Amino acid sequence: MTTVLGPAPVPPDVRRPVRNRRIRQGVRESLAPYAYISPFFVLFLVFGLFPLLFTFYISLFDWDPIGEHRFVGLDNFSELLHDPRFWGALRNTFSIWVLSTVPQLLLALGLAHLLNHARLRLAALFRMSVLVPYVTSVAATTIVFAQMFDRDYGMINWFLGLLGFDHIDFTASLWGSHIMIATMIAWRWTGYNTLLYLAALQAVPRELYEAAAADGANGWKQFLHISIPSLRPIIAFTVVTSTIGGLQVFTEPLLANPVGGLTCGAARQCQTVTLYLYEQSFGQFHFGYGAAVGVALFVIVVAFSGLNYLLTTRIRSERP
Amino acid sequence: MKRVRTTAAVIATAALLLAGCGGSDGKSDSKTFEFWSFANINQKADVDVYTKAHPDVRVKLTEVGSTTETAQALTAALAGGKVPDLVLIQADDLPKFMQSPDNFVDLTTLGANDIKGNYLDWVMAQSTTKDGKIIGVPTDVGGLAVAYRTDLFKAAGLPTDREAVAKLWPTWDEFIDVGRTYVEKTGKPFVDNTPTSVFFQAVNQGSQRYYSADRKLDYDNEQVKAAFDVTLKAFGAGISAKQTSFSSGWTAAMKKGDYAVVCSPSWMLSQMKTNAPETNGKWDIATIPGGSGNWGGSFLAIPKRAKNAKAAWNYISEMQSPKGQLDHFLLQGSLPTTPSVYTDPQLVGKTDPFFSNAPIGKIYTQSVVGIKPFYFGPQDGPVGTEFLNTLTSVEQGKVSPANAWDTALTNVKNAVRE
Repeated sequence: MTTVLGPAPVPPDVRRPVRNRRIRQGVRESLAPYAYISPFFVLFLVFGLFPLLFTFYISLFDWDPIGEHRFVGLDNFSELLHDPRFWGALRNTFSIWVLSTVPQLLLALGLAHLLNHARLRLAALFRMSVLVPYVTSVAATTIVFAQMFDRDYGMINWFLGLLGFDHIDFTASLWGSHIMIATMIAWRWTGYNTLLYLAALQAVPRELYEAAAADGANGWKQFLHISIPSLRPIIAFTVVTSTIGGLQVFTEPLLANPVGGLTCGAARQCQTVTLYLYEQSFGQFHFGYGAAVGVALFVIVVAFSGLNYLLTTRIRSERP
Repeated sequence: MKRVRTTAAVIATAALLLAGCGGSDGKSDSKTFEFWSFANINQKADVDVYTKAHPDVRVKLTEVGSTTETAQALTAALAGGKVPDLVLIQADDLPKFMQSPDNFVDLTTLGANDIKGNYLDWVMAQSTTKDGKIIGVPTDVGGLAVAYRTDLFKAAGLPTDREAVAKLWPTWDEFIDVGRTYVEKTGKPFVDNTPTSVFFQAVNQGSQRYYSADRKLDYDNEQVKAAFDVTLKAFGAGISAKQTSFSSGWTAAMKKGDYAVVCSPSWMLSQMKTNAPETNGKWDIATIPGGSGNWGGSFLAIPKRAKNAKAAWNYISEMQSPKGQLDHFLLQGSLPTTPSVYTDPQLVGKTDPFFSNAPIGKIYTQSVVGIKPFYFGPQDGPVGTEFLNTLTSVEQGKVSPANAWDTALTNVKNAVRE
């Protein structure tokens, strides 16, 4: 296989009919690009497509990784439909996704607008520092946040106590744990999205802002009527990526409530779908059932990405 | 030249991929074996003792992670990866592996029948299949006892001497009464939490847990219900600090003396020392209410595809002999599974200054002799977790005590997928 892939020029001392040589060289050169992109596709086949298809396959089995593999057809899926733990996990996932994505993207928009300001001093410093949470390890972030939200000894409750309020048991309650995890996610991704928006904003001609300012538009009006409309394509992009990422949140709920094991709390109050998948597969060795959860998640992510795409392309195509 | 480079790149990529799948270091002589253990249990000390006695043997010890992570890694390895020669499995994870005993070397083929009489029979039963194959050799058991703060007991007007304290609570009901007195006197919570400190102890003191004697799943039984109810009673008495065991709040409260009592299986002692070194000498240990019981313990097993099963077996038979386990206890404090050493003067005489020189060997071995054996099944882990989680939800005010039992049964039913 490798012999035909090379773009190799033929050494000059080889005497062959010119036409023949040209054809060969043409074939080689047209194949060369495929050779260069093949590592990605080979890796994708091995680590992307194969596991995906294999997951579909084992979701039809009662699959013990070190024991029996019994074909059960669609039983795992019909069980899934009646599994309150799955629906609970789905509810948690969507709740955490909304709670993290909406404020995060709004905040990123505002920050990007501020960082794009022409008279901002030390612009590079500020622009770089918004990325710091993104490069910090998720595990470290999660552990620090979990301690801040602790019921008795956490900083947030200490502060609430100072103000005369009762302590809130964040990890134990549904909303408390969702807010806690959403905060961790927003903390990590706001800066990243800010930079994406900022990059897009820098492409907007300064003259637009100058002209608006000359016409008496204040900062807010400039943000609303210049920044936002020019950011539409990139907003569409971030919404889609945040959807895909948000529906697959795993590390934060896993580590937010470490003693809760794989359930993220005694009542599974912050267990996401991916964490439930992990609990079923690797906690209890129900690989078939875990795979069914994975397939369900796949369908949901595809559906929502499609929906988001439709919505945001509509927004994108509207002219300001 | 260019072609050569492209070809090389493609081959290198392919080789990289293959290496990821297969992988073998090729080095395997009869004197080297690979050992997977959990972290924080200091198997390294044992390995050092062994390699000192056998300088020609090389042990590649990997501390995989928590007990659960080690079991997960082992599962992945058994399902199609490189297996270790020797692996430590925690008692709660063992039943899952006992479901497919063919993944492991039947240790009777290496001579386990000659040594099985050395170990507590109810522990040995956990790693023996119905047809008599032995999958694991027990390394330790988790005897039960109560750790209490002498200074806080004194301040509450309670006795501080461990014999006198033990006399206060022969039963869990009396334990709850002591807790009430403590809370009245000090206004502070008594016990760290009730799900772990009451339920997980009491449920391990019966003659049946979640399976019946004929190995059928049967968690809705009187003994489990009794343990559950006494836990609810303890919660209702308002004696709990509601600190989930092993959480950061639990550790912080332990340091600050925000509770006076932890029901502490033998393996928890070293964690307490690490978590709250500043409370050194302020603790003591008394016998547990409700009689003998066991929570935890571990087993050493040899995967079927092990390259060097013989070397691993040599290690087991030497380090897990009664003498080996006694030495390990004197060094580390984890409780031997070999009853012949329970009367050994070294074990009986072993005291721990962190716990006011309590004779830990004597107290903990008391709780594991006279145990009523019950069957451990593959669903023990999920069932126990659901009961514990429901009781934790009660402490967190999310489930009312009146509905707790029904909620627990529903959750368990979902978990075992009946």
